[in-house]
Amino acid sequence: MAKAQLDELDRQLVDLLARDARVSNRRIAAELGVTEGTVRGRIKRLQQDGLISFTAITSFSMAKNSRLAFVSVQAEVENVRAIARQIADISPINAVMITMGQFNILAMCLFDDLDTLVTVASDQILALPGVHHVETSIAVRTMKYDTRLAKITPSDVTE
Amino acid sequence: MNASISIDETDRNIVEQLRRNGRATNQQIAETLGLTATTVSARIRRMEEANQLRVVAVSDFAAHGYNFLMEVAIEVDGRPASDVAHELCRFPEVFAAHVVTGRYDIDILVALRDFDDLSHLLLDKFSQISGIRSMTPSIVVDIIKYQFDVAPIEI
Repeated sequence: MAKAQLDELDRQLVDLLARDARVSNRRIAAELGVTEGTVRGRIKRLQQDGLISFTAITSFSMAKNSRLAFVSVQAEVENVRAIARQIADISPINAVMITMGQFNILAMCLFDDLDTLVTVASDQILALPGVHHVETSIAVRTMKYDTRLAKITPSDVTE
Repeated sequence: MNASISIDETDRNIVEQLRRNGRATNQQIAETLGLTATTVSARIRRMEEANQLRVVAVSDFAAHGYNFLMEVAIEVDGRPASDVAHELCRFPEVFAAHVVTGRYDIDILVALRDFDDLSHLLLDKFSQISGIRSMTPSIVVDIIKYQFDVAPIEI
């Protein structure tokens, strides 16, 4: 987590791009009162440092899997990293975090029908060696969801 | 709000290109897919206007100085869970809040700058919200995967 932080200009740039990543360098430059070269250079550096990434976000209604569930897992402590990686490889799983608390892995799963969720949670995850217990909880109402924040992993960094 | 437009193969291909690089120009996308830049531009605008698509910069938690993530499962008592969740959403540290089924009623994800912010948030801020019966926090010690390219754009 030793990533550089943003300065004031970076922050303004990120704010603009978080609203619409397709705005041209020229427009950004005009809005922030800097040159196009500065904008281009800043964007490049932020991307290279893995601090920002540009992507398309589609609505739940356009997606095949439109429901979200939290899958909390109790797994063998000595193998928790390996188990978390195996869970991350299951395709409807979008997020996997190792946690300290009542459970030691928190996974998030996008699904469309309950059968998929049961297959992922009760068949695939529960069957992994070292997994002791799984609890699922379905998000029935999303009150807040900030898509601008994420963990940018090396595979997201475009060259 | 959620004008259901039909999404065809061309739309999906454009979205796929944008997922790979949200800053690709219309011209670049058009060349890859064998379309015209005008078509690409019109298709993107149509999906954006129907709230089906956003092309955005996503920034890393660390870029904002958030070094510390936490999930908090909340039990509610004597008040609609949605009302409690609504109040929790007001805090900028709360970046996701869902009303859920199961043992708990609300699940939130919280980003904090450092450990000192934790007690302040839990004891001084969240505790002022009525209807919270219990809070069970889990500290995130490592993120193995975090891939959300699907989101409720409508909210």
